[in-house]
Amino acid sequence: MSGLETTITDFLKLTFLSMVPFVLASQGTMLGGRTGVFNVAQEGIMLVGASVGFLVSYTTGSNLIGALVAMAAGGLFGLVLAYFTTTLKMDQFVVGLALFFIGTGLSSLLPKLVIGITLTPPLVKTLPEIPIPLLSQIPIIGPVLFKQNILVYFSILLSIFLWYILFRTNMGLRLRSVGENPKASDALGINVVSNRYITSIIGGMLIGLAGAYLPMVYTGTFTDLMTKGRGWIAIALTFFGAWSPLPILIGSLFFAAIEVLSFRFQVGGSFIPYQFLSMLPYIATIIVMIFTFGKSRVPAFLGQNYDRERRTL
Amino acid sequence: MEQENVLQMQQVNKSFDRVVALCNVDFELKPKEILGLLGGNGAGKTTLMNILYGLYRADSGTILLKGQPVTIHSPRDAIRQGIGMVHQHFLQINNYTVLENIILGSKVSHPLSANYQVEEAAIKELCKRFGLEIDLSARVETLPMGTRQKVEILKALYRGVNILILDEPTTNLIPQEVDSLFETLKIMVREGLSIVFITHKLREVLSICDRITVLREGKNVVSLTRKEASDEALVRAMVGDKMDLEKSVMFTSHEDSATVAGSQEVLSLEGVSLISQHKIQQLTDISFSIGSGEIFGVAGVAGNGQRELAEVVMGVQPVTSGKINFNGQEITTHSTKERIAEGFVYVPEDRLSDGFLNKASVAHNLILGYHNLEPYSKKGIINWKNVHENSRKMINEYNIKTTGPDEIGGNLSGGNIQRVMIARAFSQPSRLMVAHNPTRGLDIPSMDFVYQKLLGNSATGTAILLLSEDLDELLLICNRIAVMYRGKVVGILPREKFEKYEIGRLMSGYEQKSK
Amino acid sequence: MTQIKKFFPYLVSVLAAFLVVGVLLWALGFNPIKAYQTILFTSFRTPNGFVQTLLKWIPLTLTALAFTVPLSSGKFNIGAEGQMLVGAIGATAVGILFKDLPPALLLPLVILAGMLAGSFWGLIAAWLLYQFNINEILSTVLLNFISFALVDFVATGPWRDPAAGHPTTIPIGANGFLPVLVKNPPLHSGIILAVIVAIAVYIFTSKTTSGYELLVTGANPRASKVHGIDTRKMFLFSLVIGAAVAGLAGVIEAAGTHHRLIEGLHSNFPTLGLIIGLMARGKNQAVPFVAFFISILEVGGSAMQRTIMVPVQIVLIAEALILIFILLSDIIKRRQK
Repeated sequence: MSGLETTITDFLKLTFLSMVPFVLASQGTMLGGRTGVFNVAQEGIMLVGASVGFLVSYTTGSNLIGALVAMAAGGLFGLVLAYFTTTLKMDQFVVGLALFFIGTGLSSLLPKLVIGITLTPPLVKTLPEIPIPLLSQIPIIGPVLFKQNILVYFSILLSIFLWYILFRTNMGLRLRSVGENPKASDALGINVVSNRYITSIIGGMLIGLAGAYLPMVYTGTFTDLMTKGRGWIAIALTFFGAWSPLPILIGSLFFAAIEVLSFRFQVGGSFIPYQFLSMLPYIATIIVMIFTFGKSRVPAFLGQNYDRERRTL
Repeated sequence: MEQENVLQMQQVNKSFDRVVALCNVDFELKPKEILGLLGGNGAGKTTLMNILYGLYRADSGTILLKGQPVTIHSPRDAIRQGIGMVHQHFLQINNYTVLENIILGSKVSHPLSANYQVEEAAIKELCKRFGLEIDLSARVETLPMGTRQKVEILKALYRGVNILILDEPTTNLIPQEVDSLFETLKIMVREGLSIVFITHKLREVLSICDRITVLREGKNVVSLTRKEASDEALVRAMVGDKMDLEKSVMFTSHEDSATVAGSQEVLSLEGVSLISQHKIQQLTDISFSIGSGEIFGVAGVAGNGQRELAEVVMGVQPVTSGKINFNGQEITTHSTKERIAEGFVYVPEDRLSDGFLNKASVAHNLILGYHNLEPYSKKGIINWKNVHENSRKMINEYNIKTTGPDEIGGNLSGGNIQRVMIARAFSQPSRLMVAHNPTRGLDIPSMDFVYQKLLGNSATGTAILLLSEDLDELLLICNRIAVMYRGKVVGILPREKFEKYEIGRLMSGYEQKSK
Repeated sequence: MTQIKKFFPYLVSVLAAFLVVGVLLWALGFNPIKAYQTILFTSFRTPNGFVQTLLKWIPLTLTALAFTVPLSSGKFNIGAEGQMLVGAIGATAVGILFKDLPPALLLPLVILAGMLAGSFWGLIAAWLLYQFNINEILSTVLLNFISFALVDFVATGPWRDPAAGHPTTIPIGANGFLPVLVKNPPLHSGIILAVIVAIAVYIFTSKTTSGYELLVTGANPRASKVHGIDTRKMFLFSLVIGAAVAGLAGVIEAAGTHHRLIEGLHSNFPTLGLIIGLMARGKNQAVPFVAFFISILEVGGSAMQRTIMVPVQIVLIAEALILIFILLSDIIKRRQK
């Protein structure tokens, strides 16, 4: 392979590798949003997922178990969000922010309690690549699409699966109607409450998994605040993807590409001070928001709680 | 020959917080009849039917279907029992198609793929049987109101209901569509359904209903057959002794209700057009003028530009082109604040969402819009003493039940919230009043009060732009009526030429025959 | 009696949170009684403890107000962190560039520069909201991350202090230091600034016409708009004021406490400021008092970590729990009606 081919392949492969936390967190946000629950706690939930996932992987020696427990933790946060907003009818932003604090605090606290302070950072094995026979031999596309870790495959398949469920099944028709007009859904016998709970919990699970990915793939360990804003970016991504699974997948790739690029330039050295390069993903997010906010098709009742007996004049 | 009831509700009680909505109400529905459930706003009709449909839970009472007691705790239960409801504000998913809206929530033949052929065939059958013509693949947000209502009816028919409740079904219909609806109802009754027709409009009830049950303030008043009923009997039942019918605006002769308009021009619009930020043409070339003391009505089906017109006159939205003049001066670029200072008063249509502050105090609510004018504030500092003094005066004059100016607005009952907003609108001296559906949601005595206030204002020279979806209201007190269709004024009729069906034709887009 | 009734839910929330955390401490093998003694009384045991509490109170009150003022108009300013840091950058920059000016000039310049820098940072998010309708939660948070990079750039650039092990600038001119009120233990005049700002905010929101417009915009933006209030300007205005106050917090830390820009000088103040704002239910006048309570906990918390090795994150958990219980008590009150 020529030098250029190698560069492109490496770049694309890294992009697909990096898109996973964005895809998982955004799809999780999208699911909840489709029933009207606007989760803003992603950053905290991802940190909990990273922290818990790492600690469990470290103590049990199994990344799988770590990932599952991280998902459970995320699901728990989703459950709490659903309870406080759907059942207790508290403001969704306020609850989300509170969960963000708790998640952030917990994620820093737990490692100190479980592992304490050590001289060298404790490590877990990073996720291995799983090459798909034959397909992974194709030049460029092979290593990029078919020689990745299991969660990359999972993210892609998940996105397709979610698209199908939401837009090609009866369950999806009902689920989406809850976010578009909960009163109408309710009047037709659709259970608004259970739909919101289910999407919040599953959404939380995906977001927790997104967090667990970080130590499992990037550094092998947990460091405070290691999500570096990816949770917040995932929210912007969900708007960018018009709350639809397939555009979200594309959008995640785009953001991952920017993240990889900015890192490349920082390491590779350029005349721009590295701090400004590290700002790229965030500035890119803002620019993307300028173009999509107001134009994005958002579930009509996103962020609004539903009270069956509330009287309107 | 007493026919067995298909539905009976006995001794139903329901309260919301401290407000009693229903008190020991009894209700009977016979098979194959159209029963009118009549009463003013707040009488409890919708509450009673919402309980029947499982949206509300009664505090006490029983429901009997064909003599057997049933429990209904959710719409699902109601549908299972064969009860369907067409709500006043259609419960549709705007960006779904007619087909998707109809099958939503029901069992489908292919749940794991979007194959709805079986369902489509079944619905087409229903359309034939009941004489309804609808394009199943159209997105409902693109359909006119009358057609959207048919979709609501189809939803219920598709689920095989034998009792259908219609809540104020003619609110958004032009006269011709009302006739069409009545025809459909008659077909449905012939096919074996029983229908509950909730309304506050006397005329309708007398023209289509077999029997009439009247509620007032959450209690039963009377049940009559159509033969037994008369205008007067029904009015008295609806209103009781809360209103002096002889002195009322609504029930006295129409001819002397409208005052004679003055000749001095107060407001004029010249070629006003509005294109929204989404590049949609909301208003096209609107021109008309209103004289002092004139009540100028604007009729039209909801969503034909009325809100945009009101907002453009009030300055909430800037015009894209054209001129607006006030007392001879051009005010096209004046802000809402400036216009309010110049004597504009706005009664917005969605009063709760556009006119009330739930979390702020009653005083805060009463000065909204006038807070930067004397006597409430001077040089940017608010004089809370004056605010409280005036608030207390308004609370007294408009009979607002509250513990005081500092009570949180959200604590007030619905009726009192309306009174706060009426007090605010009519306590302020005004040169031009823009009132959009001002009586929506009000009970009958309050509606009459508003009409009296409007006529009072016009008598002192205020020009009034009255936008209303209630044609009867416009016919009652306006000097002239303009009709809006798709953002254009398609005709202006003087009082001598007021004719319901002509207006209905204009409302559905036909250009005026004779100007 | 009704006064006590008003505070009852807050008291119960605090006690309930302490109970939960106490159980947690006990389960982890620590002595809860000792822990609480340290947490609650460190502020009052020594003059130094009290001064530390006051010094923490300043940024906590200011960052909380940075959140509650925009909240009055219905907007969520999560950017106090970035606004504080940029305020510190502004103050430091002016303090270093003009270090030879007399104090009568340098000091006001430093304060002004910091507040302007902070409000500029908030203006970016406010303008994005005004012009493009971009949700301010997202934009302010993203700007936070950008500000971290900016601070790193300034603290490791030409003004870098080579002797420091951690990215830090050289000190600002001594004439720019905030005057000290008490020498030992050192309490600087930042506290006067903070008190003035808190009072000014209160007067503005409750007595002026603009304050009224801010409040009703938050209560119902749509109704406010149709009644003549320029709500979009209100949003912008409230965000910029909030950002200016956060910027002032940065100025005080840079010019009063550290006399230079240190990476991380914002500590956990902005996060706590948010929590304080939420605990105060958005009421500006409650903020200083809640902030004082939290300062006590914070000072006690770090002492607790030093003396009995309890991780300081426990205090954050306690604070989050207090917030949750306060919010829950609101629901209970609503249900009782």
